[in-house]
Amino acid sequence: MVVLSAARWVRSRLTDRFWRVQEVLKYARHFRGRKNRCYKLAVRSVRRAFVKSTKARREKKRFLRALWITRIEAASLEHGLKYPAFISNLAKSQVELNRKVLADLAIYEPKTFKSLAALAQRRRQEGFLAALGDGKEPEGIFSRIVHHH
Amino acid sequence: RYVRQLQRLQLLFSPTAADARGARQFVEEAAQDFARQHPDVVLYVSPHSGPGPAPVLRAEYLNGTVRDELIASKTSEEILQLATKLASQSGLDIIRIRKPFHTDNPSVQGQWHPLTNKPSSLTVQGPRLQPQ
Repeated sequence: MVVLSAARWVRSRLTDRFWRVQEVLKYARHFRGRKNRCYKLAVRSVRRAFVKSTKARREKKRFLRALWITRIEAASLEHGLKYPAFISNLAKSQVELNRKVLADLAIYEPKTFKSLAALAQRRRQEGFLAALGDGKEPEGIFSRIVHHH
Repeated sequence: RYVRQLQRLQLLFSPTAADARGARQFVEEAAQDFARQHPDVVLYVSPHSGPGPAPVLRAEYLNGTVRDELIASKTSEEILQLATKLASQSGLDIIRIRKPFHTDNPSVQGQWHPLTNKPSSLTVQGPRLQPQ
């Protein structure tokens, strides 16, 4: 710690204003217009940018989930299934894959996704038979539930 | 087997400057113990006489990155903490990692393209039949 006598303290000058200004401007370099050069405008813009990025973290989760749902819907429609039918029948068949993984499978492993769609379709048919057939037919194979205790 | 990513630590300071007091104390007391505890790091102590740049602890890593840490007006314990922290780091730059995963082969079955689930009659041309 630098200890100065009282008289000198009054006369000391601010010498690192440049670096204090650069600390703020470095976050504004990719902005448009005078906000990327002028400190007074940049301070306001940088603060708003930080606030927006903090708040957007909650929105990002919603946005990505909607994106996954869109992609799964498109992929399942290619195989003749609608999204609600696909997701509900997968859940009833105890396939606990989340939407992120399903979207990645739909993009990178199309054959796996096709087999998942076929599984959901089969489970759907068995559900219809169980609901409408009433009694005499045996229970569906893919409708069996495994209990993990 | 663990390979330490820190190659060498250079302690650049001036023997007379006031803010290099912590650096001088570190060299006198803790530098030898630090060097013994980390045998795969080379510690260079280079005092430059006269008024020069601020005292700095320069760390060089195996992938080539050089990291300078100011040690002006720091105590010997703080410099020791800094040195151990640098010794445990790798030389990768300290920025936000966008994704914690990476693959060179993301697709095993072949990435989806608009013609994956269409009948192959759209793309394949069968043998052209001779006119009979």
